[in-house]
Amino acid sequence: MNTTVNLSNAIFKPFVVFIVLCAIVLVSCDDDDPEKEDAPELITKVTLTFTPTGGGDPVVATATDPDGEGVQDMETDGPINLAANTTYTLTIGLTNELATPGTEAYNVTKEVRDDDDDHLFFFSWTENFFSDPAGNGNVDNRTDPVNYEDFDEDGLPLGLTTSWTTGDGASGTFRIILKHQPDLKTASSSSSVGETDLDIEFEINAVE
Amino acid sequence: MQSKRAKLLLLALQLVCGLLYAQPPCESALTGRVVDENGSPLFGATVFLSPGNFGTITDNEGSFSFMKLCPGKYTVAIQYVGYHGMSMRIDVDGQTVRVFELQEDVTRLDEVVIEHHDPANTEHATNFTELTGRELAKTAGKTLGETLAHLAGVNTLQSGPGVFKPIVHGVHSQRVLILNHGIRQEGQQWGAEHAPEIDPLIASNIVVIKDASAIKYGSDALGGVIVINPPPLPETGKFDGTVSTVLQSNGRSGTLSGMLQGGLKDRDGWGWRVQGTVKRTGDFETPNYVLTNTGIQEANFSAATGYHSKNAGLDLFFSRFQSEIGILRGTAINSMDDLLSAMERDVPLYTRDFSYTIREPRQEVTHNLLKLDGHISGMNGEWRMQYGFQDNHRLEFDMRIGDLSKVPATNLRLKTHSVDVEWETHHSETRTLSFGANAMFQENRNVPGTQRIPFIPDFDNITAGAFATSSLFYDRWTIDAGLRYDHRTYSVRGFDFKNSLYRSSMDFGSVSGSLGVSREIARDDVARLSLSTAWRPPHVSELFSLGRHQSVAAIEYGLMLNESTNEVMDVDDVGVSPEQAFKAVASYEINRERFSLTVSPYANYIRNFVYLRPEGVTRTVSGVYPYFRYKQTDALFIGVDADASMTLNRHLTAKSGVSLLRARDVDNNSYFLFIPSNRYSIDLHYERPEVGALRSVYLETRGQYVQKQTFSPRVLTVREITQQEEDSDPFEEDRSIFDFTPAPDGYFLWNLAGGFSVDAGKVRYDFRLSVENLLNTRYREYTNRLRYYADEVGRNFAVSVKCNF
Repeated sequence: MNTTVNLSNAIFKPFVVFIVLCAIVLVSCDDDDPEKEDAPELITKVTLTFTPTGGGDPVVATATDPDGEGVQDMETDGPINLAANTTYTLTIGLTNELATPGTEAYNVTKEVRDDDDDHLFFFSWTENFFSDPAGNGNVDNRTDPVNYEDFDEDGLPLGLTTSWTTGDGASGTFRIILKHQPDLKTASSSSSVGETDLDIEFEINAVE
Repeated sequence: MQSKRAKLLLLALQLVCGLLYAQPPCESALTGRVVDENGSPLFGATVFLSPGNFGTITDNEGSFSFMKLCPGKYTVAIQYVGYHGMSMRIDVDGQTVRVFELQEDVTRLDEVVIEHHDPANTEHATNFTELTGRELAKTAGKTLGETLAHLAGVNTLQSGPGVFKPIVHGVHSQRVLILNHGIRQEGQQWGAEHAPEIDPLIASNIVVIKDASAIKYGSDALGGVIVINPPPLPETGKFDGTVSTVLQSNGRSGTLSGMLQGGLKDRDGWGWRVQGTVKRTGDFETPNYVLTNTGIQEANFSAATGYHSKNAGLDLFFSRFQSEIGILRGTAINSMDDLLSAMERDVPLYTRDFSYTIREPRQEVTHNLLKLDGHISGMNGEWRMQYGFQDNHRLEFDMRIGDLSKVPATNLRLKTHSVDVEWETHHSETRTLSFGANAMFQENRNVPGTQRIPFIPDFDNITAGAFATSSLFYDRWTIDAGLRYDHRTYSVRGFDFKNSLYRSSMDFGSVSGSLGVSREIARDDVARLSLSTAWRPPHVSELFSLGRHQSVAAIEYGLMLNESTNEVMDVDDVGVSPEQAFKAVASYEINRERFSLTVSPYANYIRNFVYLRPEGVTRTVSGVYPYFRYKQTDALFIGVDADASMTLNRHLTAKSGVSLLRARDVDNNSYFLFIPSNRYSIDLHYERPEVGALRSVYLETRGQYVQKQTFSPRVLTVREITQQEEDSDPFEEDRSIFDFTPAPDGYFLWNLAGGFSVDAGKVRYDFRLSVENLLNTRYREYTNRLRYYADEVGRNFAVSVKCNF
């Protein structure tokens, strides 16, 4: 009986010491500041550049959301004033201005281009605004015409660069949707497939 | 009044069953004692005698008696939860005395020992329910949350078929404390889709204390405390173990679990145990389609060793929980338009054929626990101490651009050290008194490299508290009282929406108290009332959350964020108060020979209750998002849990459970989301101790009806939100809480199960075959966050075999 008690004590005393040591460990902690993360998926600025293929000044429109997921709304400028009956090359630039300029996180366009087999831009516009492509775009129907100028390695379109010819003078809206379609992008994957990375709309005019 | 009704009911039943009590005038008697293998009396065992259909329950000496019997041959059948039933032919002539020894079931129910409580000093006034032995075995292969949902007053907050969080009396997450082997489970509980990181197969009994009277365990337990107890370690050289396997048709899942335990030869007092579980589940299936990407992989391991003498004990315990869980692919949403199409379609997007593959979105969680605890008793009382270290690592992978899918979007590591010390005096037989202190140090770190602004910041949490509790026993009265004080300090470092660093720190301190009274009434009836107050400081996630979290198409802002600039505000400028709950739980328990009933009404008023409220919509380049802000209000939870059990004859038992709850936002005259609706269940259990070579043969069925949640907030559909004019705020008129869809309809589920045991020498096999959702009912559950997108799982067949050696 006594021996058990002694044995218990023999085990118990180091245990008490251990608890005290633990308590000391608790008090010491590191106070280092956390590392800052790049946020390459965050897009705070979208730039549309319409460059006339026959030469002349490009037309630029932007959408900006400086606080990302903060409460402030995105703002779009515009309207996009194009010349009637003119062919333009549209290039889309995506930027994360919360990141440091020059870093990978800053240039989201490159991210999208590098990952072209998972991404696809969709476009829609007021019916017959353009003479080429005709119609109202491929948001409602993937097979409707859009003149893509860039393609992934499977020959499927991407849409960072596209070609547009305006018709006679008109005004309307121009909408761009960027879909993230990981393992889902096919020749028929529609605008309802995948996650939306971008969905913006501008007023657009073709001036004679 | 109630007992009279019970008697009438009993009488009616006896008539229906044609049980006749009229006996010829005979003068023999059978007196017996029911004991376990160690000769300890078993209190509350049911004893049946036939012919004559006499039944009784053993008293606390394990004794029973049948008087006025005619001499002759009788069959005695004895049953006791956690033990094998026995059936024996005996001759009764004159005064016959016998001792009956029951063999324990290996998953034996131990008395309700709330960890670190002297069994003699279990808080008598506590309102608790528990799961033990065979009840636990029934849910083998399920998650802890699903296991707990079998208890009255406990529900689950689900995120698909694999993620279950316990809801106790209407509240969940930080407000429900889980004690695993005596240690407060510390994981990332703040997330609604973060299930507790505990293997339920580790437990021999699980107790849910619903009245916050468990004052020893610290602050935060506004809803209740879930106590997961392991079986005690062996103390002799005996060696035994179990191997069990469960196969389920839905999800085509397999679970393999094993346990070995023993002692050391010639070293009485030393014991050890190792236990492990591996589990693999593929995509679950609803009656009509596959729930793509809902698979689970789990591998858990634990080891324990300890020494126990009469006066002291020391235990070392280690456990590791590791799981990978897929989140339904169709819920990965990136904009309101995506959300709209996901909600309006019948079959979720991206539904594919069955697969075991787990892709993004998915979670990888590892939880390690190391615990050392000891107790030593002397003349005046007992010292108990324990140290626990927990290392929780959570990785969440979302659908992301290119190779970023392989990079976790959330990568959090939470390390928690805790120390608990308690001194309990044994003043006298009528009074106990104990004092204690707890300290916890916690550091939560975002592991760098996620390439996303962290949703919650890094923080340190230092919490310390002290308590005193006392129990008084007087005649038929038991009175428990407890008081504690806790202080918590947060030190926070994170990045705001501009990705610039901020620092913040704050302090909270408050008092918790409880008073419980119970009184034995009549022979076996007990009335209890407990009043308690508990508090909870807001969690760092509720204070500093920023942005979107996995598979939720909503942006969340914490209490500390400025409403117009998003910037983190100074602590002094923000009126953040801790939650303070005032809870009353009453219960009345009737125990008759063949009938028992417990009715337990409760009310919980929580001041400064933290919840998410819609505040507006914000336009980003990827579309329109509603945003939610953490707010505080006063909340009232009122409910009743009731359980009844009736022995219809020596083989057939019926049980019924009712759980009613209503939760209100008192300040805004509104309701909360994901509050469990009223539910009703009936169980029938038929059992024979022996059929040929089979032992404990049973067949059981359970019907559960879940009512539609009528106390739900207003509905504002995604279509209504997205169709708002630009620059207008859909919440301008009404900022009260809303739901995207109406509450789903009520549903009825029917389960069926049967099983038996086979003794083969020293080895016993337990077999069980069960069908859940027998009718393959298509339904949605209000407390499942995936109810917007998909149905619940359909019919499931399960086979389990357990080998005890």
